[in-house]
Amino acid sequence: MRVLAVQEYFGLAAKAIRFIFARPFYIGDVVQQMDSIGVESLGIVLLTGFFTGMVLALQTSVQMAQFGATMYIGRLVTASMVRELGPVLAAILVAGRVGSGIAAQIGSMRVTEQIDALNTLGVDPIKKLVVPRLVAALIMMPVLTILSDTVGIGGGNVIATAYVGIPTGLYWRTVWEQIASGGFILHYIPSDFVQGLTKPFVFGGIIAVTGCYFGINTKGGTEGVGNATTRTVVVASVMILIVDYFLTQVLLFLFG
Amino acid sequence: MTDIPPDTTGAPAPPEHEEERRALPEDDGEPRLRRAEDELRARFAEELEESEEAQERVGVSREAIVELEHISLAFDRPILEDVSLVARRGETIVIAGESGTGKSTTLKLILRLLRPDSGRVIVDGEVLNDVTYEEALVIRQKMGMVFQGAALFDSMSVFENVAFPLREHTTLSEDEIEARVREKLEFVDLEPDRVMDQLPAELSGGMKKRVGIARGMAVNPAIMLYDEPTSGLDPLTTGTITRLIMKLQRELKVTSVVVSHDIRSAFRMATKIALLAEKKIVFFGSPEDMTASQDRYVQDFLGGV
Ligand SMILES: Nc1ncnc2c1ncn2[C@@H]1O[C@H](COP(=O)(O)OP(=O)(O)O)[C@@H](O)[C@H]1O
Ligand SMILES: [Mg+2]
Repeated sequence: MRVLAVQEYFGLAAKAIRFIFARPFYIGDVVQQMDSIGVESLGIVLLTGFFTGMVLALQTSVQMAQFGATMYIGRLVTASMVRELGPVLAAILVAGRVGSGIAAQIGSMRVTEQIDALNTLGVDPIKKLVVPRLVAALIMMPVLTILSDTVGIGGGNVIATAYVGIPTGLYWRTVWEQIASGGFILHYIPSDFVQGLTKPFVFGGIIAVTGCYFGINTKGGTEGVGNATTRTVVVASVMILIVDYFLTQVLLFLFG
Repeated sequence: MTDIPPDTTGAPAPPEHEEERRALPEDDGEPRLRRAEDELRARFAEELEESEEAQERVGVSREAIVELEHISLAFDRPILEDVSLVARRGETIVIAGESGTGKSTTLKLILRLLRPDSGRVIVDGEVLNDVTYEEALVIRQKMGMVFQGAALFDSMSVFENVAFPLREHTTLSEDEIEARVREKLEFVDLEPDRVMDQLPAELSGGMKKRVGIARGMAVNPAIMLYDEPTSGLDPLTTGTITRLIMKLQRELKVTSVVVSHDIRSAFRMATKIALLAEKKIVFFGSPEDMTASQDRYVQDFLGGV
């Protein structure tokens, strides 16, 4: 991306964040976007979460068997899902499914002059189009991640019980041990959750802003819309992975 | 030809023109041009009559409501250079010209969707160059824009499209909004009960244009802007849309700026025509004057239709 584009990108992000708290509030649009993000992504997020949990359990069971420590499968699956794989996988999937959808929708509004029409009718497209998608993504991404984590840990349970013979009760006790081992914030909130939910929140923002940015800047008819969707998926996915690293460093420093 | 010809609305041919004409070499230029002029007059007789009526309604001494003053604008290459244009209250200005000459760009300048590199845009006394983005959102409510492809919000029904500006900018109750939407749809000759719940994708091109007009006029703006309102429509629908624009002009006294390369409908509704070519306005005056113009480009443009 060109330097100017980077500046525009963050300009859009800053403006959208500022407008979250400014009238008018398009509550209806937010609900509609939450619905569409949730409905569009729930299936794939659950499916991939489940299989990821299973494969994690399978791999760790092989490794752990060498040390006779297979009872720790639950701990490992939980740590990996909650801190890393749940947030990152869900975000990458949503970037592909929802981010591209946002870019396509706003992009086609751009090339059919609907964005100009909003401006002409005295409505700021950032307030009407970007903010509802941003808010919806900020809310739905953590929700999707919690669900992904849960079915992932559930998938681990299936493998741990079926292949390794760890009783379900023991499995879930080790899951809880893992969650508790990270310590608590304000006595009740496991710090793993804080880490595990800060990430999807940030990733949700990245997905919405990236989709809106490439959508709004679409040029050149239907072909341009195709370009906008492709770029959104690539840029959002790469950003998610890079930001994940730095965010992990910061979160580890803050919460251990 | 960078100067704008003086306002000649409703007045007899200005002395400047007479002088110019006399200054031409008598032998070859004069008779040829006269013949061309007569021919054009005959060809557009019907349209010119309608235009004359429109001009009479407007009168001569109305205040300017839309002004472009020495506008220059370049994208990757210069598009407009030193373009000036005035629309007085109640007038219908048609901006004509070949495609790619900057007609849509001119409308976007009036709407402050674009800002000129130099020169001023003045709408209803406000200099748009100086206003902020937020102020522009408010000023734009004085203008209703009909986009070339109608630009209806495709996720909303016809009703919601027309109601959109009302919900955004008025405190009308739901009943009042419905009444207003019905009124506007009826004005554009659509049956409210038949189209209100339809989505834009289900409408024909002509119907989309009409809904676009209904949405543009929903908040009763003083100025209506149309970008090629008749392009891509069959001759019959073209006639309908042209009549609709004239009805708006006649019954609601709105000022209109219409971008069109359909010179026949332009002649019917225009009080003045601005011809854009080569980044400049090469002609600005009444349809009457246009047929009388000696400019080669104007003659070619009219002859080519
Ligand atoms: N946003 C833009 N960026 C770059 N070039 C543009 C932009 N908008 C219009 N143009 C160019 O400006 C010229 C005039 O465009 P336009 O005003 O749409 O012409 P018209 O409406 O008369 O057909 C065209 O050559 C077009 O390619
Ligand atoms: Mg155009």
